[in-house]
Amino acid sequence: MNRGPVSALPTIPAIAIDVAPIEYVDRTLANGLRTILVVNRRVPSVAINVAYRVGGKDDPPNRSGFAHLFEHLMFKGTSRTAPETIDRLTEDVGGFNNAFTSEDITNYYEVVPSNHLERLLWAEADRLASLDVNAANFATERDVVIGEYDQRILAEPYGMLDELVNREAYAVHPYGRGVIGSPDELNAASLEDVVAFHATYYRPDNAILVVAGDFDVDETSRWIDAYFGTIPTPATAIPRVRAAEPEQTAERTLEYRAANVPLAAVEEAYHIPAASHPDVPALEVLETVLGAGRSSRLYTALVYDKQVATSAYASADLREHPGLFGLRVTCAGGVALADARAALANELDRVHAQAPGEAELMRARTQIASSVVRSRQTNSGIALMLVQSAAERGDPGLVNDDLARYLAVTGDDVVRVARTYLRAENRTVVEYLPA
Amino acid sequence: MTDAARAVTASTLPAPAAPRDATLPAPVERVLDNGLHVVAFTQRNLPLIAAQLVVRGGSSAEHEDEAGLSALVAVLLTQGTAVRSATELAAASDALGARLDAGSGFDASLMSVSATTPAFPYAFALLDEVVRRPAFAPREVERVRTKSISDLALGYASPAVLARLVAQRVAYAGSPYGHPVAGTVTTLPALSRDRVAWFHERFYRPDDAVLVIGGDLEIDDAFALADRVLGSWRAPGRALDAPLDAAIPPPRTRVVIVDKPDAGRTALVVGRVSIARGSPDYYAATVAAAVLHGYSGRLNQEIRVKRGLSYGAGASVSARRMPGLFSASTLIDHTRAVEATDVTLAAIRSLVDAPASDEDLVSRKATVTGGFHRSIETIDGITGSLAEHALYGVPLAELSEYTRRVQAVDAAAVRDFAARGFVPDDFIVLVGDASQFAGDFAGRYADVRVIPSTQLDLSSPTLGG
Repeated sequence: MNRGPVSALPTIPAIAIDVAPIEYVDRTLANGLRTILVVNRRVPSVAINVAYRVGGKDDPPNRSGFAHLFEHLMFKGTSRTAPETIDRLTEDVGGFNNAFTSEDITNYYEVVPSNHLERLLWAEADRLASLDVNAANFATERDVVIGEYDQRILAEPYGMLDELVNREAYAVHPYGRGVIGSPDELNAASLEDVVAFHATYYRPDNAILVVAGDFDVDETSRWIDAYFGTIPTPATAIPRVRAAEPEQTAERTLEYRAANVPLAAVEEAYHIPAASHPDVPALEVLETVLGAGRSSRLYTALVYDKQVATSAYASADLREHPGLFGLRVTCAGGVALADARAALANELDRVHAQAPGEAELMRARTQIASSVVRSRQTNSGIALMLVQSAAERGDPGLVNDDLARYLAVTGDDVVRVARTYLRAENRTVVEYLPA
Repeated sequence: MTDAARAVTASTLPAPAAPRDATLPAPVERVLDNGLHVVAFTQRNLPLIAAQLVVRGGSSAEHEDEAGLSALVAVLLTQGTAVRSATELAAASDALGARLDAGSGFDASLMSVSATTPAFPYAFALLDEVVRRPAFAPREVERVRTKSISDLALGYASPAVLARLVAQRVAYAGSPYGHPVAGTVTTLPALSRDRVAWFHERFYRPDDAVLVIGGDLEIDDAFALADRVLGSWRAPGRALDAPLDAAIPPPRTRVVIVDKPDAGRTALVVGRVSIARGSPDYYAATVAAAVLHGYSGRLNQEIRVKRGLSYGAGASVSARRMPGLFSASTLIDHTRAVEATDVTLAAIRSLVDAPASDEDLVSRKATVTGGFHRSIETIDGITGSLAEHALYGVPLAELSEYTRRVQAVDAAAVRDFAARGFVPDDFIVLVGDASQFAGDFAGRYADVRVIPSTQLDLSSPTLGG
């Protein structure tokens, strides 16, 4: 078919994307609670995030999965409120709430009509100060979490892949244990463990409160002082993970077989530095060049041209401590994993050999910049980016420089980080095969 | 301490303040020379612009035996144009950091695009390209059709999905809303490339379309861009099709049971044809549905909280050009299908027998306005809402009055609407292992029809069997 000349699509100078900085009030209370307030009065809605600096890496010894189990318990009521109070205070007035546990933080969040802000601040302070955990709801939630493990890890095809990658990649650092943990260790946990965990990590000086949306800063600050400011800070120090993962010097490989694997898959995971490291913007551009969208190198080469894979993508998993850069490929039916891996290796050779061209860099920068701009549209998007930056990079203000940092990444930066980190001796390979 | 004793009291929990309203950008309308109705608005908080183009040709414009045609056309728009293959189109969209989508519904097909301010003019040109110059390459038609058929098979495995499709047939039979938007396993294979091109030629025309553009640009610049890019889109000489005005026959059977022995649970839908988007009762209907819907809505309270019959139950009302469907739905154990049906019918009837008070309505209305306010946080959300208003001939100014109009609905209006629009003439659809419950229904209802799932034919107004 003669399609005629492709109409020219000029590349867009991403540098022209100019975003006003997010203005916020950053105040730490006397008890150590860090509060970050962002006013945006366009829509009468407000997003609240309360992040505790405790995640999978902080699980007590032989109690992996504990931070996540604890997240569930935070919904079971307090000495003053019935279970699921937060659900009623949000869903019944036109809002919603949820929480997640990552390797580094446990984040609780709500979005409510702005006239309900004070009630939610009261309720979040209440569950920090007076959580009521009893044997009954502890046992119930432990079963729920183990059920989640069965569903997400055991029943899902490729459900074990993340767990295996972390376990093999980290020899020393507790990131190796993952977040979901092990049912055996959860079953071994006692109510005393739970009470001790709350006392250790759920304290004002280990929390970050972000409020974004339609409110008055002075009034809200008074509410925060009244409800959170009175919660005492324990004299004990907060335990912090000090383990440093030693540099990997030889490739690690693992072959895993399971019955519910429809197609062979592989993940190559490379150690990369912490989220606050200056190489991170270049790593994110590399991630986009290699593996974001249908025009990325991995999709084009492995899925579209050679048809050796049904999916192929890259992900830079950025964490408070050094994380992993993953390349994940799922084979096409009838294709040997070795052939798919050879095609992947070919793409690695390309990215090592030569810096990406200007058009490709522009595409990556534009994709990243567009997604940064989109995520600022909602109060919940703004609150989440601030809470993550504060918790994982130590400084919420970094979100205002991110765009410029991405735009400054050069082709040489990309090839340099590819050569520095995407090396065979720095990687863990997990081959995930049908039984 | 018991949970009840710990229930939050006003003495500890602060009371909510007075609700506030949103400030929405003021939309401006203009009609281009080619008849294209353009709506523009300015909102400059971020360097983002969005556009949505709506053509008045959706599944209700299809022939009964070509169900799925409008959906197939819409999906194929982004799978290649006269100058770009599907992959090249994806690459162009990625390079712009744009989002380009197309889909179809009962009353219309819609195409949307959004991008950052400097990239938007190029992204908008891509929208124009997919709307006016789609390739409909035979290879892509074949690929999309095959994928759509396998998606259908996946959907039919779910009792809840099947129950919704059966309810649509029971409600509308052979009238234009009766057949599935996504088509059926018998209609899709027969849809040729020629029929795809025919539908596109007939319904994608500027004088029967609405374009909304908004975000980080001036109103005049939005109109100028629309004119520059889409001003050369010519309307065909053929007159416009008359607006749909088909009579909707009343359901033939009160209770329809699809026997699906392999279903894990039974899906229940109680429904009826209810309300058009242009009706003055639209807000009352929305609030009435909200009284039933949500965790603390009456359905979930009766079904889950009081009786543990299901993990959840909900209700919705879909307002369209012609009256759309009201439905209440849940998933229950096969053996408790009769009980769940009784409870669902009673919950709907309670809107009339034990009407919600004005005080009850405060939180139910808040669920409606809260959802609305979240939806207009993004320019895509505002663009979509304005397009819907324009599509249904609702004055655009109503968008900024949304909260006020919901708040103005009182207890009497909810009860009155429910008595007319939800309760009478309802029908019941169940999809599950009928051997465990069909007998119970036969004794209670005069007209019960049982269709084995193997004989169910969604292509037929009477469902086959």
